[in-house]
Amino acid sequence: MTDDLLADAGEYVAGLMSPEEAEAFERRLAADAEARRAVGDWRARLLALDETATQITPSEGLWPRIEAAIGTVPANAPAAPGLFARIWNDVATLRWASLAAAAAAAVLAVLLVAQPFSGGAKPVVVAVLTAPDTREAGAIVEAFADGRVRVVPLRAIPVPEGRTLQVWTLWDRQVGPRSVGLMPAARQQDYATSGMPRPADQQLYEITLEPAGGSPTGRPTGPILYVGRGSRPL
Amino acid sequence: MVGEASGATMAATTIDLKEALAACAAGDRAALRAIYERECAAMIGVATRIVKRRELAEEVVQEAFVRIWRNAHRYNPELGPPRAWLYAIVRNQAINILRSGRREDLVDEVPEDVASAVEAHAAAERLPEGQALRRCLEGLEVRRRTSLLMAYVDGFSHGEIAGRLGLPLGTVKAWIRRSLIQLRECMG
Repeated sequence: MTDDLLADAGEYVAGLMSPEEAEAFERRLAADAEARRAVGDWRARLLALDETATQITPSEGLWPRIEAAIGTVPANAPAAPGLFARIWNDVATLRWASLAAAAAAAVLAVLLVAQPFSGGAKPVVVAVLTAPDTREAGAIVEAFADGRVRVVPLRAIPVPEGRTLQVWTLWDRQVGPRSVGLMPAARQQDYATSGMPRPADQQLYEITLEPAGGSPTGRPTGPILYVGRGSRPL
Repeated sequence: MVGEASGATMAATTIDLKEALAACAAGDRAALRAIYERECAAMIGVATRIVKRRELAEEVVQEAFVRIWRNAHRYNPELGPPRAWLYAIVRNQAINILRSGRREDLVDEVPEDVASAVEAHAAAERLPEGQALRRCLEGLEVRRRTSLLMAYVDGFSHGEIAGRLGLPLGTVKAWIRRSLIQLRECMG
């Protein structure tokens, strides 16, 4: 076996290849028995490193979620925890989410005309929150200078029993995400926040699915349903 | 009865993974459950070293089991023992999350230098004494060993390793390739 093949197979097994390189190497694996042996050999030998990991007891809900996921294997199922692992794979989600604002602008315009905010106050920041996987617009956030935040769902968001939607915002990674409030069912809701700076351009907003009563840790723990960055409306 | 009970317990803990994967391929959910019972806790541990967050690690393992279920028929012994195949799926899934940047969404920054170096070193120190892998890793120069372990154990890319160790990217790439070759020669 050549040193090059040894090193290529080792890089592949260690996860060091880019997706393109890995794909090319997998094509080689399909055709090259020696390359397959090289990979099998590395995996067998490096498995000992995986065995050094600390055992962590799974939470009770994990197996039911797996069962639900393999039971349905849906292509276009409604939001359910089993689907969200796939969302995590979407490389461009956040980058896209900010671009999505433009695509959803028409929706936003209609919405603002249809539902002018009482009192005529103008939001300092508006965000269109989109689903990480389907990229569908799911909610609009309007944040006002006085700390009020209005969240307007644009579609039905299923909330399983014992869970709630929770709205978050992040303006500074040093501070970390802060809860805007809970949304037990998907309907328009106004929140009064305090202790947060004036909403800024590019401020991140997201809606996650959390245990009823809200995240027990004060930080998002559940799957991200919709996420987007704020922009200053003209 | 006692004998039967203990026999059943033994069977549960010493399942043949190759047979279990074949059963999964045939649609037997009990076989997947048996794999879960045996490997899940360790899988979460492996995923946690990469994604650093417990709840994300469970997402990783959840998706890994979906993949195991769907791809069980593709398991090929040429590509390693069944257990190694399972863990490759877990690590790939964890690395996908890491690369996608999802780990950092709204999450406290992990103290990177500290956490990563500790995981990588701890893994090497926990290898059984006298094992060829351990002995041969110890034969590598310390920063080269760390580079390799940071890739496999923590799931870091070349660029991340270079950044954390303050080394040029090309150096890290060359080191890891040479370390892999040296390691393989040493293990025989």
